[in-house]
Amino acid sequence: MRIRVLLFATLRETVGEPEITWSADPGTTVAAFLTSFLRRYPQLVPHRDTMMVAVNQAFAEPTTELQDGDEVALLPPVSGGAR
Amino acid sequence: MIDLTRRRIDASAVVDSVRRDDAGAVVLFLGSVRADEGIAALDYEVYVPMAKKVLTGLADRAKAKFQVLDVSIVHRLGRVAVGGDSVAIACSAAHRREAFDACAWIMDEVKRIVPIWKSQPPRARRHSR
Repeated sequence: MRIRVLLFATLRETVGEPEITWSADPGTTVAAFLTSFLRRYPQLVPHRDTMMVAVNQAFAEPTTELQDGDEVALLPPVSGGAR
Repeated sequence: MIDLTRRRIDASAVVDSVRRDDAGAVVLFLGSVRADEGIAALDYEVYVPMAKKVLTGLADRAKAKFQVLDVSIVHRLGRVAVGGDSVAIACSAAHRREAFDACAWIMDEVKRIVPIWKSQPPRARRHSR
């Protein structure tokens, strides 16, 4: 199956791409996806503990199973509002 | 009103959007870009579809948690110069305490869970817009 991986802010800058198409087996969990994705992009490893993962625009748990066509977003710590 | 906009925030329009005849209090919070040393502007990057969902959820939770009558949240995206407003939150309630508390809680949550990231514009681009 194919998923769209979106990268934001420092994570986008670290990888150099805002969006990556990724292939995975059906039923792959968020945790398993992250492990293989970080193997391909090891520059993200230092961010693993601080990033949040959203699936189809909702925060996801490590055990969330991914489906074909899902939009997976890797989110660094947010910083909206005033300075 | 939940909005993410590249245009200047019209604070009075945000206030008007929550006015109701049964509201005895309207509280408006504005977050502005502060002139810290070396800062001329800030760039806001937003994961727009998710930010809209999270902001809508925050407004609904604030209504249930604080008994506020209406909530509006508007956040800028793109570049905001020093002195410009990056976020506006308006809450209406029967009494002032609920409206103050809801505004403060929403702003804390915006900084905690809404996918918006600010950064300092690169030096070379600082005066280009």
